[in-house]
Amino acid sequence: MVETLGNLAAGFSVALSPPILFYAFVGCLIGTLVGVLPGVGPLAGISLLLPATFGLDATRAIVMLAGIYYGAMYGGSTTSILMRIPGEAASVMTCIDGYAMARKGRGGAALSIAAVGSYIAGTVSIVGLMLLAPPLAAFALRFGPPEYTALYVLGLLVLAYMSSGSMLKSLAMAALGLLLGMIGIDQMTGYFRYAYGVVELGDGLGVVPVAVGLFGIAEILATAGQPTPPTVIKPKLRELLPSRQEWREANWPIWRGTVLGFFIGILPGSAHIISSFVSYAVEKRVSRRPEEFGHGAVAGVAGPESANNSATSGAMVPMLALGVPSGPIPAVMLAAIMVHGVAPGPLLIQQQPALFWGFIASMYVGNVMLLILNLPLVGLFVNILRVPYPYLYPAILVFATLGVYAVNNSVVDVWIMLATGLLGWVLRKLDFETAPIVLGVVLAPMIELSLRQSLAMSDGHYAIFLQRPIAATLLAVGAVLVLLNLYTFARRGLDWRSRLALAEKGEEA
Amino acid sequence: MRQTRALALIVLLLALAAPLAAVAQEAYPSRPITLVAPFPPGGVADLTARPVAAALEKVLKNPIGVVNKTGAAGAVGMQFVATSKPDGYTLLLALSSISIIPEADKIFDRPPAFTVDQFVPIALISADPTILVVPADKPWKTAKDFIEDAKKRPGQISYSSSGIYGTLHMAMELLSHAAGIKLRHIPTPGAGPALTAILGGHVDALASGPAVVLPHIKSGKLRALAGWGDKRVAALPGVPTFKELGYPDAEFYIWAGVFAPKGTPEPILAKLREALKAAVAEPDFKAAMDKLETPIAFKQGADFQKFFDADARRLADGVRKVGRVEDKK
Repeated sequence: MVETLGNLAAGFSVALSPPILFYAFVGCLIGTLVGVLPGVGPLAGISLLLPATFGLDATRAIVMLAGIYYGAMYGGSTTSILMRIPGEAASVMTCIDGYAMARKGRGGAALSIAAVGSYIAGTVSIVGLMLLAPPLAAFALRFGPPEYTALYVLGLLVLAYMSSGSMLKSLAMAALGLLLGMIGIDQMTGYFRYAYGVVELGDGLGVVPVAVGLFGIAEILATAGQPTPPTVIKPKLRELLPSRQEWREANWPIWRGTVLGFFIGILPGSAHIISSFVSYAVEKRVSRRPEEFGHGAVAGVAGPESANNSATSGAMVPMLALGVPSGPIPAVMLAAIMVHGVAPGPLLIQQQPALFWGFIASMYVGNVMLLILNLPLVGLFVNILRVPYPYLYPAILVFATLGVYAVNNSVVDVWIMLATGLLGWVLRKLDFETAPIVLGVVLAPMIELSLRQSLAMSDGHYAIFLQRPIAATLLAVGAVLVLLNLYTFARRGLDWRSRLALAEKGEEA
Repeated sequence: MRQTRALALIVLLLALAAPLAAVAQEAYPSRPITLVAPFPPGGVADLTARPVAAALEKVLKNPIGVVNKTGAAGAVGMQFVATSKPDGYTLLLALSSISIIPEADKIFDRPPAFTVDQFVPIALISADPTILVVPADKPWKTAKDFIEDAKKRPGQISYSSSGIYGTLHMAMELLSHAAGIKLRHIPTPGAGPALTAILGGHVDALASGPAVVLPHIKSGKLRALAGWGDKRVAALPGVPTFKELGYPDAEFYIWAGVFAPKGTPEPILAKLREALKAAVAEPDFKAAMDKLETPIAFKQGADFQKFFDADARRLADGVRKVGRVEDKK
């Protein structure tokens, strides 16, 4: 412990030196920007800036790139809350309750809660990264294909809690998402599925164009189709800050989101996206008023926004402790330090203490910077709501198109965005929720690959899922969840979802 | 008199200037060149493309931008260059997969995204042999132990790869055929996940570029058994090559080379060849490749063509031997 504190002090002496401070700030600023712009997320931002870091030294490069990564998680909530357009893929869940809050005039409060939640999650998860990186990374490595399969199955069960309306409709959407996720090269055989000769479809539907289409474009279409234009909200200054009641409601979700996000982040995959889904589901499950979700529940913003931030620190655990990437973003960051002749690997922390501890300390500093940067911006961003729709929406369309194009320099992605936008609009008209589709698109390729990898490992024997302790435990948890639900279902007949659906029908009639 | 002389001078100047103007119009390069890396930033293709572009920019005194056109294991970017205007302003930095993708397309009877003869090879930049690593707690101390055990237990020893028909898969396939063994293939979505799988003990072996696994060999987690190169890897002098062990067909490199679309005019190609030769000699370029621990293996003209043809033949063979996975059972 004393040693850690000594190292951390040395780290702060690196992190607080003017050049490192400067690059951390630049990273955080760019991160906030790419987060705010719809479509463009941290991966696109980091990829674009990677060449610019080749001229810096390794510590400065990684400090700046990490700043972009966690900065984007702060910025991503802005457009989600104000316009129902995910600033990046991990902010999809924030669209639902954040936007509902904004329509009620609580947009400023939602933005402030997202910023503070991100700050707490960011800071607390670095403590985890600092103290636990080597043992946690070793644990994460024990997750092989069978463990992932079990984990994703558990994730699918979580889907059932995501909707606020009919369970049947929500499951139908999840199934549609899973089907859409089947598009692309079959990873086990190399076969192109549903590509129709379009090589770009080989990688399947990207989560960014699908999310921006289903949420953003669909929202714009739906608004344009209303007989009367929506009222422009004029936020007042005193409404910017959350009330005491809202803080209380945000408190526990922030802490739960932090812990959840960190542990999910450690596992390879699109962790920050999944962590926000899981956090939303958990909040809804533990909430005493689950019927509020979808209609502006504070916990529905606080939880996922904290989780996606904390997942960024989690994702750096295997990267720094073992030199293995836990996703595309850490992979780019690893490349950035390799370019400087620093070999990432299990010896990194010992061989490059200045880099590791300077990096850790800079993340503490960066999170403070982001909080200072983002809270005043709330007042500024909320004013976007004052812009009349005929000006605002065309501008958003332009930014969304540019953002989606920029991710892969691909026009096909823009078409995917437009097609899913149209689909999202139709589904909204029919009262379907679209968030389960996004989760399906993210999870389908992962579930499929890990299941088939597991079976390849065991030569086709399903027993592999029960022979491995972690996988068996996860599956048992899933089974218990299902049984518990069956029990309540049998006892009560109707749960709150059907009651709510009935109530809504009553209103409409 | 003076007037006529002046006129004559003007005519003479014009006559002299005309071809110059024509040349100036065609002078290559006169606008920014795009070097397409068909893989995401941070991968081998991208990390090689960046220093190549920087060095080439210095030599040609003309801006060169690296564009990552990614998707479908590189097919998207390669198809993009194959169909772009052959004017020397769109170049490709390709890896070995350029010869694999069209073969895989053939196996599935689908219209190829591109064919190898849509490109003109300009220069080979680097060629890194893969090496065979196993977890240090496995019993195999040498490649011989490994192959003998694999013969005793066909299909029981597993390995991870960067994807089906990917470079790391092909390396293992070439070895399997050379040694007459059968291994169990667990594809993953990339070189990173393939490494994670062996570090976690979920597979028994991996063929990998040396730079990626060196830190793990040094830390004692992995053991190197043999290399696919013509020569031993400089950083691992104690590790033999499969060639030394009597498997000359197990030769494989993860290489990176610069290509232009077919139809690019010969003067432009000549200029590019010359410029690339000067570029790889730049100290900055050498330093950059050194840091990545990637040996420069510059080849061009007939040398590169020979290397490329031999490699393409081996890989095409390899792909055909793998065949369609779902057909075999």
